[in-house]
Amino acid sequence: MALKLRSLARKTWQTAASIKTGVVLLILVVILSAAGTIVLQRPVTESEEMQRAYSPQTLSILDGIGLTDVFHAWWFVVLMVLVSVSIIAASIERFPNSWRFYSRPYKYPDETFRRALYPQWQLAIPDEETGLVAAERALHSVGFSPERVVRTDHFSIFAERNRLSEMAVYIVHASLLLIFAGGIVDGLYGWRGTLNLNEGETSNQVELRDGAIKTLPFAIRCDTAGQENYKDGSPKKWWSKLAVVASGQDVQKKEIVVNDPLVYQGIRFYQSSFGSSGKLKSLVLVAAERTGAGAQRQVSLGMNETASLDADTTIRIAALIPDYFVKDGQVFRRSNQMANPAVRLELESKASGSTLNVWLPLTQEVDPALAAVSEEDKTPYQFAIAGGEMGHFTGLQVSHEPGQWAVWGGVILLGIGLAFVFYIVHMRFWAVPVLDAKTGKYSLWIGGTANRNRDAFGQQFNDLVRAVEEELKSIQSVHKSAPQELVATGAGR
Amino acid sequence: MARAKAEQPQAATGTTLIVLVGLGVAFLLFMAFLNVMKSGNLVNEENLLYAALIFYAGAGALYLGFGVTGTDSYLKFASLATWIGLIANTGAVAHRWYEAGHPPFASVYEMLLSFVWTLAVLTLVAEKKYGVKVIGTVTMPVAIVGVVLMQLLRSDVHPLVPALQSTWLHVHVTLAMLAYAACALSFALAMMFLIQDKMETETFLAVTSLCSVVIYAGILTRFEKWGGLNLIAWNAEEKSEVFLSKGVRLFVTVPDLGWVMVLALLVVVTPLVFYGLARLKKDDRFLATANRAVFVSILIQVMALVMFLLRARDGRYGSLDAAGTFQTSLAASPFLLSGLVGGIFISLLYLLLLWRRPDLERLLPSTDDLDRITYKTIGIAFPLLTLMIAAGAYWANQTWGSYWSWDPKETWAAITWLIYAAYLHMRVTRGMRGRVAAYFAIGGFVVVMFTFFGVTYLLSGLHAYA
Repeated sequence: MALKLRSLARKTWQTAASIKTGVVLLILVVILSAAGTIVLQRPVTESEEMQRAYSPQTLSILDGIGLTDVFHAWWFVVLMVLVSVSIIAASIERFPNSWRFYSRPYKYPDETFRRALYPQWQLAIPDEETGLVAAERALHSVGFSPERVVRTDHFSIFAERNRLSEMAVYIVHASLLLIFAGGIVDGLYGWRGTLNLNEGETSNQVELRDGAIKTLPFAIRCDTAGQENYKDGSPKKWWSKLAVVASGQDVQKKEIVVNDPLVYQGIRFYQSSFGSSGKLKSLVLVAAERTGAGAQRQVSLGMNETASLDADTTIRIAALIPDYFVKDGQVFRRSNQMANPAVRLELESKASGSTLNVWLPLTQEVDPALAAVSEEDKTPYQFAIAGGEMGHFTGLQVSHEPGQWAVWGGVILLGIGLAFVFYIVHMRFWAVPVLDAKTGKYSLWIGGTANRNRDAFGQQFNDLVRAVEEELKSIQSVHKSAPQELVATGAGR
Repeated sequence: MARAKAEQPQAATGTTLIVLVGLGVAFLLFMAFLNVMKSGNLVNEENLLYAALIFYAGAGALYLGFGVTGTDSYLKFASLATWIGLIANTGAVAHRWYEAGHPPFASVYEMLLSFVWTLAVLTLVAEKKYGVKVIGTVTMPVAIVGVVLMQLLRSDVHPLVPALQSTWLHVHVTLAMLAYAACALSFALAMMFLIQDKMETETFLAVTSLCSVVIYAGILTRFEKWGGLNLIAWNAEEKSEVFLSKGVRLFVTVPDLGWVMVLALLVVVTPLVFYGLARLKKDDRFLATANRAVFVSILIQVMALVMFLLRARDGRYGSLDAAGTFQTSLAASPFLLSGLVGGIFISLLYLLLLWRRPDLERLLPSTDDLDRITYKTIGIAFPLLTLMIAAGAYWANQTWGSYWSWDPKETWAAITWLIYAAYLHMRVTRGMRGRVAAYFAIGGFVVVMFTFFGVTYLLSGLHAYA
């Protein structure tokens, strides 16, 4: 029984670690995420649109199996966990072998290995030492640092480069797990929301995606916000000047634009939209005296600000109706869109103590209906609007993603890992002097392998063999003239 | 089969083809010259693109001729034509860059411009460096379809919207173009592999016919009662589709065009039917009939394309959803158009295979080499894809507030990445080689194309610009 259990466990493990499982899981991820892009997704679609697109039955089925929110469905999370498990299991399963290979490099090729290896070559050498020295020099000349391997009965040469390349796959897998981990942390502890601020307004209430309100431990104030346009009228830039207010003090200030958010305590504020707040920031009025030979006065007013036009009269902007209409001698608000705005000015006379209401449309058109409501005729002035500025609001996206650093770390690691996987080649060379038992002559066996890009390696191997040949020739020519020197240099290395 | 072989232009060795292509190019250049005379402006983007189109088309024809006849001089002239086309294309890119003040990455039109350019460069690289001489037969038609599509897309220079004003735009899109062009190359190489691998012509017949059938079946989902075909209405002044309400497009019904498409479907099904019969009855005579049916189907497909071009370009048509008549345009139906052009191209590719000479093998690198180069190309594409996604994520994190939003484009980019990841795993640990690997590479490129075009036009999302 115990044996069976153990074999079952082993089978499960092997299944989890197999490449087949991995590929099947990948295919599942592919199919389900493709479904998630074709079926309308709840988080990004208005619910009316969902109802328009699908019949009630279809919609309830889709909702039931979670296809309307694939990327947050429990089974998608389970699938991602399974993918992670598969990556981990496959890595653990294969790691010990690779680690052995990595930590204990195979430095002395035995006879079986030598027979099977490709590419290999043999060169005739006068004696062991000459061959070893020639191989060492040749390897040095192509940028390797050869190592003399000492066995009980003989010497050989071993050289390698980029051994780390063997472990690159694990770097890639680890980086993917790191990215997943970051994603999971963000899924659990991260949040996203929006915060709309009128100019001058301060708030710490963020509306989260599900409609809940999150209160931040600090507040954000928008000082000004604005838009720049291209010549053709399309928006070029949105900006807002923000300040972080904590315990009554401005602790940080920044002008944010679309690609440059403000970050405070790991919470990031992005410029996402911009528009008119439906409030008046300032208005420039020209008041011309009806009697006094047209003497003009220009006043600039903010909302609810009061200015005096003469010794007796003060003026105040009392109201702004963004979209007005007139009915039965009264002014009403149709909507909050800045479609058809008008202002109500209050003129107060100190002497008489009376207050007159003057209605002015902010559009250029003359509106007799509004003029009929206005008491402008009773005032000593004729008003015209010379300019003004509407208030703006800035739409901020707010997000907190504590896991993002794991993600970026993972991305960098992934880049490094992939560079090693595809472009860094682990190359090994061996040189072994071999004595032919029949002829009693020495020859130098040279072999090499590369873990990828083998055709290019073949060329490198040929170059090395030629270099060894050259070295052999030059050593032998020196040997003839001054044999002692050779021994000295050889030992010196 | 035997008869089809006899029909191949064996006699047309030597200079006949070059003269024909040369005449064609000269004629087109003359027409272009007249056009330039009329507008009075020699070097503008349109003319440069037109020149690129002419030379790419000439190059495609010569590459095809080389593939069929194996005449070396064709290849020389094909390379030359590609070079000239590339120079014109470079001019168009430079002109665009200068006009817009930013690299041409900001709209589908501009991305296509860069994509075609990269593809032409890679074609020359593959030809000169790796000796894959016939690759132009696949890449040039892709480039031609790209340039033709560009004529239909909105090409007015737009200033960059705020979200696109980032260095990361250039990083992200450059990487994407390089990666996608590398994927296109791996696709072309995989096709070359299938040719070199002596894939049975019949199998190829079945596959190509099936593709055409799928294309026409897809088109016929727009079939409207009594022979009409529904097309999206187009507002010529605003250069945009007509919307009934948010997200709901207005369709117009073009009468009789539906019947043409039904006819085309029937004709492209015939080779498949005869192939089935040949398989069932084990009688090769049916295959000869199937091949003849392919010829007929090409004629009918060209006819369908012409009818479509004529009807969709001019005239006003009624709609089922709104009163009055509305215009449509080729630009409103990029998918139908590329489907139709793609169908003809696929059938022509089959002809290339049918007419291939035994010594075509001599012109191509060995199967082992092609297999390895395909793998190498994907080895280049995959890290580029990874970096492209990473750069996009970093940029999104600065703009949209999150590095990953499961936006359709993001999701499909991830799907592309997963498919190539699966390819690499199968190859490295399972030793997947040869035909399976080639199919995988072809499938990967199909997904890349869907990510590039399909997602933009079919699925809405944050990536609205391109």
